Amino acid sequence: MTSKIINMAERIKDADDRLLESMFAAAPIADAGFSAAVVKRVRRQLWLRRLAVPVAALIGGAIAIKPLAGFVTIVASLTSMVPPQLIDATTSMLPQLSTIVLGAMVLGVCLLGLRALED
Amino acid sequence: MTNGEDYQLVAKVVSSQDTAAFGELVRRHQSQVRNFLRKLAGDISAADDLSQDCFMHAWAKMHTFSGRGSFIGWLLKIAYTTFLQSKRKSKRYAEVIEQVGHKMEVDSQTYTLQADEVTDLDKLLAVLDEEERAIMIMSYACGLSHREIGDATSMPVGTVKSVIFRGKQKIRTSFDIKDHQHG
Repeated sequence: MTSKIINMAERIKDADDRLLESMFAAAPIADAGFSAAVVKRVRRQLWLRRLAVPVAALIGGAIAIKPLAGFVTIVASLTSMVPPQLIDATTSMLPQLSTIVLGAMVLGVCLLGLRALED
Repeated sequence: MTNGEDYQLVAKVVSSQDTAAFGELVRRHQSQVRNFLRKLAGDISAADDLSQDCFMHAWAKMHTFSGRGSFIGWLLKIAYTTFLQSKRKSKRYAEVIEQVGHKMEVDSQTYTLQADEVTDLDKLLAVLDEEERAIMIMSYACGLSHREIGDATSMPVGTVKSVIFRGKQKIRTSFDIKDHQHG
């Protein structure tokens, strides 16, 4: 009811309102490639966003490869210092490959299920 | 041009980042957005650049459109914010330039007019401050309701009405608009 009264009040225009409306009225502006330019910018932005993650990963990988190689060498030299009995004991405690694969499959199915639920 | 069609296009953009649907939205509303910014900024090329920025912001924030009001009302809110941000940026830039020794004329109330094409409307808008100008344009040029203007400017409807009233008073005292009415 209140909004109807407000709308009625808005619709009642005096001569000044009508004059102002006529003065403010402008001819429609022709598109002249404007929307095409905006869509082009949007597509470029989308393309850049899609490219950003793989490029960043590639650059990061390239930067990290040298220190990573050094780290692997150090770890390898450290393992040679560990007594062989200890290595045997820890390997027997690690999960089997089949268990890891099964776990990964269950995780994958759970994630897919969650995604399906979201959709 | 109906709100329903706009909502369908918005849904396509939000659900599948459909650039063609977004292009259609731009085609439908570019004239009103550009007209609004041209009148507000008083500079055609700057206004068209701002319009492009406005649509880019609209693309990024499309998911925030709730469908509560009209799409053009929501777009003009973004256009107004884009205009204010650019104004703030250029003011800050001018302040930095001034600090390093150059003198630049900056006034937040300055309404840039191209000397060769000053119309009656430009003279009329020049007597209003920035906020009044934006609200008067939204009301008289874009045909937004007071509620839509309130949403666009984050103002209560009562304030919008009083700003319009004040704007009309200023115009009345600066120009004899009745003379204009009768030729």
